[in-house]
Formats: sequence, C-alpha cells, structure tokens
Amino acid sequence: MKFDTIIIGGGLSGLVAGIDLSRKGQKCLIVSSGQSALHFFSGSFELCSLADNPYEGIATLGAEHPYSKIGAESIADLSAKVKPLFKEVGITLKGVKDANHWRITPMGVLKRAWLTMDEYGTVPADGVMPWKKVAVLNIDGFLDFHTSYIAAGLEAKGVECSVHAISMPELERLRMNPTEMRSTNIAKTLTGDLIGALAARINEYAHDVDAVLMPAVVGLTSSTDVVKLKEKVDRPLHFIATLPPSVPGIRIQMMLKKHFQKLGGVYMLGDSVVSGEFEGGKLKSIKTNNHGDTEFKADNFILASGSFFSKGLASDIDGVYEPIFGLDVDSLDVRSEWYERNLFDAQPYMSFGVATDNEFHVKKNGERIENVYATGSVLSGFHPMKQGCGAGVSILSALYVSSLLKTIR
Amino acid sequence: MFKEYDVIIIGGGITGAGTARDCAMRGLKTLLIERHDLTAGATGRNHGLLHSGARYAVTDQESAEECIRENMTLRKIARHCVEETDGLFITLPEDDLKFQDTFIQSCLKAGIRAEAIDPAEAIRLEPSVNKALTGAVRVPDGAVDPFRLTVANVFDAQLHGAEVLTYHEVVSILKEGYRVVGVEVIDNQSKEKKTLRSRLVINAGGIWGHAIAEMAGATVNMFPAKGALLIFGHRVNNMVINRCRKPADADILVPGDTICLIGTTSSRLPYDQIDDMKVTPDEVDLLLREGAKLAPELADTRILRAYAGVRPLVAADNDPSGRSISRGIVCLDHETRDGIPGFITITGGKLMTYRLMAEWATDLACKKLGVDKKCQTAEICLPGSEETKTEKKSSSQHVWLGEKAAQGRHGSRSTNIVVNDENDASLVCECEGVSVAEVNYAIETLGAKNIINLRRRTRLGMGTCQGELCACRASGLLSKANGCAKKSAEDLASFMNERWKGMFPVAWGETLAEAQFTAWIYEGVCGLDAFDKKEEA
Amino acid sequence: MSKNKIDTSFEQCMKCTVCTVYCPVVAVNPDYPGPKQAGPDGERYRLKNPLFYDETLDLCLNCKRCEVACPSNVKIGDIIQSARLKYGTHKPKLRDYILANTDVMGSLATTMAPVVNFTLGLKPVKSVMDAVLAVDHHRTFPKYAGQKFETWFKRHALKKQDTYNNKVSYFHGCYANYNHPKLAKDFVKIMNAIGYGVNLLEKEKCCGVALISNGFKDQAQKQAELNLSSIRKAVARGEKVLTTSSTCTFTMRDEYEHILGLDNADVRDSINLATKFIYELVDAGEIVLKFKEDYVKRIAYHTPCHMEKLGWALYSTSLVRMIPGVNFMMLDSQCCGIAGTYGFKKEHYQDSQKIGEGLFKQIIDSQLDMVATDCETCKWQIEMSTGVPVENPISIIADALDVEATVKANQK
Repeated sequence: MKFDTIIIGGGLSGLVAGIDLSRKGQKCLIVSSGQSALHFFSGSFELCSLADNPYEGIATLGAEHPYSKIGAESIADLSAKVKPLFKEVGITLKGVKDANHWRITPMGVLKRAWLTMDEYGTVPADGVMPWKKVAVLNIDGFLDFHTSYIAAGLEAKGVECSVHAISMPELERLRMNPTEMRSTNIAKTLTGDLIGALAARINEYAHDVDAVLMPAVVGLTSSTDVVKLKEKVDRPLHFIATLPPSVPGIRIQMMLKKHFQKLGGVYMLGDSVVSGEFEGGKLKSIKTNNHGDTEFKADNFILASGSFFSKGLASDIDGVYEPIFGLDVDSLDVRSEWYERNLFDAQPYMSFGVATDNEFHVKKNGERIENVYATGSVLSGFHPMKQGCGAGVSILSALYVSSLLKTIR
Repeated sequence: MFKEYDVIIIGGGITGAGTARDCAMRGLKTLLIERHDLTAGATGRNHGLLHSGARYAVTDQESAEECIRENMTLRKIARHCVEETDGLFITLPEDDLKFQDTFIQSCLKAGIRAEAIDPAEAIRLEPSVNKALTGAVRVPDGAVDPFRLTVANVFDAQLHGAEVLTYHEVVSILKEGYRVVGVEVIDNQSKEKKTLRSRLVINAGGIWGHAIAEMAGATVNMFPAKGALLIFGHRVNNMVINRCRKPADADILVPGDTICLIGTTSSRLPYDQIDDMKVTPDEVDLLLREGAKLAPELADTRILRAYAGVRPLVAADNDPSGRSISRGIVCLDHETRDGIPGFITITGGKLMTYRLMAEWATDLACKKLGVDKKCQTAEICLPGSEETKTEKKSSSQHVWLGEKAAQGRHGSRSTNIVVNDENDASLVCECEGVSVAEVNYAIETLGAKNIINLRRRTRLGMGTCQGELCACRASGLLSKANGCAKKSAEDLASFMNERWKGMFPVAWGETLAEAQFTAWIYEGVCGLDAFDKKEEA
Repeated sequence: MSKNKIDTSFEQCMKCTVCTVYCPVVAVNPDYPGPKQAGPDGERYRLKNPLFYDETLDLCLNCKRCEVACPSNVKIGDIIQSARLKYGTHKPKLRDYILANTDVMGSLATTMAPVVNFTLGLKPVKSVMDAVLAVDHHRTFPKYAGQKFETWFKRHALKKQDTYNNKVSYFHGCYANYNHPKLAKDFVKIMNAIGYGVNLLEKEKCCGVALISNGFKDQAQKQAELNLSSIRKAVARGEKVLTTSSTCTFTMRDEYEHILGLDNADVRDSINLATKFIYELVDAGEIVLKFKEDYVKRIAYHTPCHMEKLGWALYSTSLVRMIPGVNFMMLDSQCCGIAGTYGFKKEHYQDSQKIGEGLFKQIIDSQLDMVATDCETCKWQIEMSTGVPVENPISIIADALDVEATVKANQK
C-alpha cells in the first residue's frame, strides 16, 4: 500500500504532522502502537517555561535544542498556527502568544503554561490570583485528586477556600469496584442527562464564591458535557488536572484522530512497525506486526514514536537505542551518567533521543536518511520538564517537518 | 519527676523489636527508641530468607543449629510473616558435585532435613531453576517478611505495655558515675530534646550500636559489611534457590510475596559510609550474572530496584584489627566487661536468630533487675499469627484481591481492617492490593505517620510501579489524617526520591520507562518538585 | 511461545491505566476488576498463589480492546484468557458445551434445519433454554441452513475450480458452512470472477474460539492442530488460506500461539481475510473489480473487536468504498456486546446489551440501508438490537459486483 507520508507514532506530534500534511493534500498513514502520552495530559501546552515570555526563554537554549534547529523566525511563524489548528479540530485553547500564564497543578502549586484548554483554571501572567474565595470540590471517594493540596496552595496565595466532596447516586455502582473509581469512568457516568443533576450538586456550594474548582472528570468524548455543565453552574467553573488518565487529554487525542481521519488519513492503532526496507539512503517501505508481509510504501516517513515510555526509545543494560530501525541516538555511554541521584534534578536521560540534522533528518550509522524525519519527544537535546517545552517541541517540530514536505495538488 | 523505665532499648530493627517484646512480656516497663522508622536499617535490607541453616552447616555448625531451631519456631509463632517454600541447593556443572555429600552430612548433623533429589525432580518442583544443574538438595528454607515480623513484634510489645518512640535519635547516654541511667534523645521531626531515664539501657543498634557503645564509654569493635541485592518484578521462583558450594556472592534467590530477590555481594565498607550506601554498576552486573546462573529467566526479568544493607561484623572481643570475627550472637554485659553498670549490648547474629538474641538480652536484663520470669516468646504467637476459628467467606461471595492480599499481610489481625463502605474497599496501591481501609489501619493501629511507614507496614509502593499512582493517593489520605497538606506534600516528594534511589542503579528497560512516566506525572503534571527538600537528597 | 512458558509481558505494564479506559465491561459491570487488575496486576499475585485467581475474570469479553490501547505492548487480554484456562475452577456447563461446539451442533442442526429453526424460535423452547440451559430467552438463535456450504460446493462448484490457474484455499468456518452458506457462495463467486479457483481445506474444524472462551482448552488445541496441519498442506501447494470471518482469522493467527501455545509462525502470514487479499490485488493493479451502477445504498461499517485487534478494517472498508453507489460511513469503533457466545449466556445478557447501547444508537440514528461487518456474531447482535440488516463486506461486494464485466476485465 502506498502513501505520501507514513507517520510512526499517533500521539500529539504524529497527529499534528498528519493533520497538517493531510491539509496539504497528502495521503497519510499513522501507525500507533497503543494510546499516547496525551492520556496523561496536564491540560496545558508549554512552549518554553524558562521565562515569563516563552520566546525569551527559547533565545537562551543551546544549538542542540530542537527549537534552535527550527530557528527563531520559523518558531514565531509556526507557533502562531497552533491555536487556530486546535480550533479547527474543535479544541479551544486560552493564552497569548508571547506571555506564559500559570496553571494550577494537582499539588496546588503554580506552573508556567503557554496554551491551556479553556475549561481549566489558570492564573494570569502577573500571578495575581483572579479569585478571593473559591469552592474546591471533589467527587466523594475519588482518590486521584486531593482537595487539601489545592486548598493549601491557594490559601498560601491568599485565596479563601471551602472544600467539599460531592456524591451522586449514579456513582454508587462505580464505587462498588475497588479499582475503577477513576477519572474516565466517572466521566463515562457523569454525562448526558446527569449533567443537570451534577450542576445542581455543585451549585449547593457555589453561593458566595468567585469560582468553583473541580477535578477534570467531565467530557471524555466531546466538550458538549463541559459546555453544558459550565452553563448550568452558577459561578465560573474551572477544572484542575487529576492523576492519570486525563479525561480532557483523551478527548484531545480522540478529536485529533477523528479530524485526521476526516481529512482522509488512515490511523492504525495497536500496531507496531517491525522492520523497514532501506535503499540508497532512503527508507522505501515498512512492515508492521498486524499486517505481516504487507508492505507500506511512502515517499517520506516521520518518526514521532515518543520517548522511553512510548517505546520510541529503548534501553538495556548496555545502552540506549532506537528500537525500530536502529537509528543513531544521542545518549551517554556510561550508564551511571544517565541519572542524577536526586529525582528532581535535571535527569540526563530525559534529553536522550534520536540524532538529527537541522531539518530533523535521522541518521543511521552516521549516514543521513533523506526521507525520514523525527519529531516530538523522540528527539534529543531538550529537557521537557526543566525547560518546560515538551508539548511545544512535539507540535512545532511536527509543523516544521510538515512545512518541508510538498503540497500535493 | 521523670518517668522511669525498667529498660530502654535503642534500635527499631528486628533485634530491638524482639527484645522489646520479650522484655514487655516479662513485665518490664519498656521503651523502644528508633531514630528513623522501624526496620530502617539492616533489618529492612536483606534477603528475607528464612534460613534452614543449611548455608552455614559446613562452615559453622553452631549457627546452623540455631537457624534450624529458630526456623521451626518462626513457622509456629510468626505464621503470617513466613512462607514455607522449601529451598534447593543446586550444583551446576562448574561446581564440584562431591561437595553435595559433605553438605548433606553437615546438614543432618545440625538437625536440618536435607535430601538429595534428582535434577529432573528439581526442575519439576521449581521450573525456573537452571536446567543445566547436575544435582540438587532439598532443605527447609523459606521466606520471611522482615517488615511484617518487626512490626508484629513491636505491636505485641505495645500490647504488653511497652512504649515506642520512632524518629527519636539518641544523642547521649545519661550516666551517674559509671552507671548508665538513661538517654537523651532528639525528636528528629520537631527537633525537640528529651531526657529519658531507665534502670537499664540495651543497645540493639546493629552497626550503629558501635557509636552508641562509644557514647556510653565502651568499645565494641564492629566492621560494616555491605551486601547489595536486586529485587525483580515478579516471583520467578517459588522455592528458594541456593548454590551447593561454599557460600559466595549472589548465590541465593529468594521468593518473597509478589517478587523475588537475588543477593548478595559482600564487601567491607568504611564506617563513615554506612548511612549513604550506593549500589555500584559493578555490583549490579555481578548480581545479574550470578543470578542468571540460578534461574536463567532473571536475565530477562524486570528489575524493580537495587539496595544494600550493612551487616555488623563484630570483632571477637577486644580484637581491634577485625581479623577475628565472631559469627554468632554477641551479648555484652558492660558491667562485667567494662565496668559500666546499666548497659547491655546485643549484636552479631542474624535476622533468623533475632528471637534468641532477644531472649539472651532479656535474660541478662532480668537477672540485673532481679526479675524471675521465663521467656515465652518461642511459645506465644505474634499478633496476626494466632490460630483462628473464623472461617473463610463462602465461595459464592466474591473476594477482591485487596482483601486477600491484606489477609496475607496481617494474618488473623486482618479482621481488624474495617471496611465501612465502598470507599474503604477502594485500592490505593493496585500493584500490591492495598486498600483505603488497610492504609487507615496502618495509620491508626500500626503507627504509620508517613508514606515510608505505610510502605513498610503494608507493601504500598513496593510493587511494579514503585509508587507511581499510589504514593499520591496515600499522601492524600495521610494529609487528611494529619491535617497538614504541606507536610504531606513534602513527605510525598521525599518518598518518591527514596523510591528513585533504589531504581536508578537498575534504570534501564521498563524501569527507565517507568521512571520517566513517574517523572511526567509527579514533576510534569503535579509540580511536586516544588516540595523537594534538597538537603535530604 | 512454547506451550508451558508463562507470558511475562505483564512485566512491561507501566500501570498507566490506559487499558481500563477502553474496557467495555468495566463501564457496565462493577463486579469486573478491570483489565489492569485482572491482567498484569492479578498475574503477579496468581504467580504467588493460584488462590488469588478470581472467578470474575469470566466477565472478560476477550475483545482485546485493552491490548490495542496499551502503550506498552502488554498482552492484557491474553493474560486474562490464559489465567481463565489455567486457574478457572468453574466446570463448563452443558450450555457452554453446546455453545462452544459450534460445528458439532451445526452438523446436527443442518440436517434437521427446519425443525431446529422452528423449535429454537418457539417461545416455550426459549423459556426452557433460558431456565435449563441459562441461554437468555431474548436471544434469537442464528438459523441453520438446510444444506451445508460444503455439500453445495462439492455438488455445484468443485468441478469448475480446476479451470482457474490461480488458486486459494478457503477456511469457511462454522457460520458460513451451517448458518449462512450464502456468504461462502458469495466468496466463491467473487474469487471466480477475478480469476481465482477455490479449494477447501483437506479437513476443517471449528477454529476453536468458542472452545477457548468456554474453557475447553484441550479440545481447542486438538482442533487447532488439525486446522494448522490442513493449512500447512494448502500453503505447501502455494495457496493462501482465506476466510470470511474476522474472528476465525484472528483466532488462527494470534490466539493459536498466544493462548494455545502452538507455533504457527510458518503459516501466520498466509492466513488472510478475503477482503485483505482482494484489496491488495486491486491495490497492486493485478485485478479489477467492476460494479453494477444500480447498486445504491447507504452503508456503515462496524469494526468488530477482533478486527480492531487485527487492524484490518482498512481493507474491508476500502473495498466497500470502491462501490460507486455506496454512501459510506464509519461507525465509532466500539464493542457490540455479543463477544461470540458471551452474550448468549443468561448471566451476561444485560451487560451485553448495555455495552452495545452506544453503537446501536449510532446505527439507528444514521438512517442506514445496511451495516457492513466482518464478524457473524456482531451481525446477530446488531440485527437483533437495531433491526438494521447486517452483511459481510464479501456479500456486499458480491451483490454489487458486475460479474460479467469483472470476469472480462480480468481475462488476460
């Protein structure tokens, strides 16, 4: 089977590339081995969290950083496309281009963010809390969200908090299962006609507060329930991220995928690429586990297979490698140098990834593969958490590589 | 007026715990002091092997005899801490099969049932064993959970009136003249100092007992011996597997609860490093290489963590060189030895012989205090191991994993884990099946104050993911119980850091992927790095 | 994997809980521990002590949607199925035997089809089945045909097959043989039209999917070995072995190895769904399909769970979309709830219908002429629950095919 571009990896980076290329008329295939890291989404995309202005932070990054390969001018162009792209997919993001705002984490601390899903609670760039008094709610018995942390964090910033647990008879059935009182199952329960009843329960605590904060446990497959709930709650309602799985993250994943398919893209989930046929410095075709001896051919390939968690990178006792094609990786040879003893220090392994040139062409045995590009967290040279740039690298590297590939028709 | 105890025991490892139980059972007014948590030292950092004594039979008959006696005792009094798995001593092609005869004879002489079995039979009994084996001997080895055993001893001591102070560190020994009359401690959490008086002080500080003796003015020469171990993700083996040869590095593979562990290495360690032990890449490589000889599957099995414990090797009395090491139990009466009345040191020995060590120390204490009571610790069951008449639920009733797992961990006491409603049955730790109710039980009854305490009392965070979701859930419950969110958040950060310390020496493959996932959640989504206290790192 | 080795893919579990998001059972039945707990979490405990096995694992549909979702390649569904076979203490009931042995029942029933169909449709019989056999009385039993496909083939089609140079073998499965020979006939019609002759396998037994899910592992192994040996002979003749059921295909390609521990690596790639085989020929330009202009229908495709796992919906949908008069729609990929024999059991009936609810609603709301799907049990479930007719893509192609034009186009 023949495609214009085959993308390996169906997470944020792969889907953004797939959508952008499909818009250019390309026939794209995405091969995704399992669901993506969007399932653990915080609610916010970060561009660069090193400074109040993300572009100022980007200017301080070294040459090995993917942003430096893209270049300041392209970064500015491409980053302007992010909000409209998600709007087209059906996801409203808030935030301005050149100033980070703050998101409220489940531990009640503030972290810099660039674009945040509309339904989440945020604090403006100046750090001034937008509320004097809030109600912090949880679903009774939901262990993946702790109101005490949120309340303590907000109170330290001068916001008066009242904490409440709400219950609904419809959740009792779910509660009977000791392992399944989880965000997504709550979202599957609290939907449709129940939104009104949920709003009524929330409104019991919404009298004299400026806002209501609650865990992101509504709106698994579309934002309809979220919009309806916000309408029916008397005060502004904001979500705060939960422990995984992330309900809004899964929704983003589903909507990106649907949009990609609507544009004619083929998405193969639960399949993994097992081999590739190289010829004359180019990748000709790949084979997958599910399709056995069937060959998938393409003019170009994008490796958006993620980092260690997603198996885009693999490691064993002897070293780090790229498991599909055996591409060159940037890593350290001595195992003990992969780590810092303190968990919260900048862990060197987080910056490992496949080696690329300035146009994100990958290399194999030192040779550039001219039709294979890498995007997203499989790339080397950045630290998603310490530099606060994980989502930014995923999205912008995908848009950048897409911009290098041709428009069909 | 200070409250005066009959006896203060320093050290919340298994020896101190056993001694506290024995003293309390004999009616002594007892206080147990531990500077960190129970089992924080060598007790929580070993194989968890219920030695049959076979390992010592050829080299040390006395230890072997002690082991098999205590082995049989623990099966009776600590049923819920023990797994009766039996063990194999296998001969590999590179070993001398002739050693097997000597080995069996020595075992039988020490009273250890040892029976040579056909290699094919050994493979049938334990399918994970190296198929190249040329001989096998079956012995009554088993597994013992040192956390559970220690907590049960302390719990029973408390039931007999003993008091326990964890996170209290002895900073000096109080003396009147030469006589020891108590200790001065600092509360490691509030930094508050306290003076505690007693008629006797028993030093059960393991390797740290060296420094405690020094505070009292006595010299007990101890030499730290480091032993590193690896924990694997699941039970590869169901019987203990040993090598049938003279004891060497990495030649014991022990199944324990849901995991198995290989150990140990053995190396002398400078005394100033005992609080900061690192497992080196060389040690990891050695353990893996040798471990795979016992069970080849280990080479491809996920490793959860690496850790090292430190054994106190006690120099035969007054040999400062350390060349002549005492292998057995050392119970020192400092009154007769050093002219320091009121001070006893109990050390040497091993996890297996803790009860006997406690008996010796308590016998001596009773003699000093003029108490004439017999030791009963070998006859009376520990809490959780009592015979019960309560029958299992009818088979039609569905029992969740969490409930079954808790029965295993708390034995007959698991009936005290109260499940009031569905929320209580909810699992906090899914890998190890720890429910909200069990966490609450550990907080209310077993004295758990932080997540590390909870881990040692329930196995929370000890499974495959090493606390990736459960730590945060547990932290929320603790925050509710102790009412301080900031303290709980800091506790969570330090717990995750403690897990990481054991993970990074083996962080490749799935363990590295798990570490990355955990970092995304805790640092990325949650922002837990804001609560990291750098000085603890 | 050999017959006795334990699958340690549970070690790869990152505890990320993604599997539980996509489990259809968890969403409707709180008694089911969920794929993570029943699979990788539970497995560690079962290795410690088989007493940790939990009979509620029977609630697993074996839909494998957990495996498809898993980012870490954990064979969650396989772990659960293997645990059921290894530790399950439930004795299979007479009912399970009847449901599991689709081919034995099929041969008995076909000979007496009118009587059987009539009887199975009677209210009193349904309530007896409900009460005595615990087969839910709401269920409509698939009708049995009066003449097996095999009989028809030997009488009416066999001779002609020798006239073709290209050959394929056909694994018809129980359904096409006993209940719905039209599907098999449609398959032969298409293959012949594109210039391929059809051989039956030397011997064919039920693929064994129902035996596996009802706990008859030994029998499943025997049948699997027999099928593999027939398939090997066909492959040795240079023929691909084609099927018209996603579940049979999936079972023979993947479950034979993962659950039954049989080595099928040598023939796995040769076992193909007919739609995949045909699509690839079209894609490679080797054949051409010509369709009737007056075939105009609005058709939506439902992805059966095992098709989702195979990842082959692409081929079936691409073929159906080639029909010019088809207004095509893709339904959201979700379980219909039947899961083979699962939904027939009285104890599962309610769950089964609840699982399918969303799908049924989407179908009813979409104003369709027909639903296309590659699985026979999905067909029964959807037809019973929505009233919308359901056909295999092969039958749809066969109906829409302009046979004469196609034959002509493919004559070289």
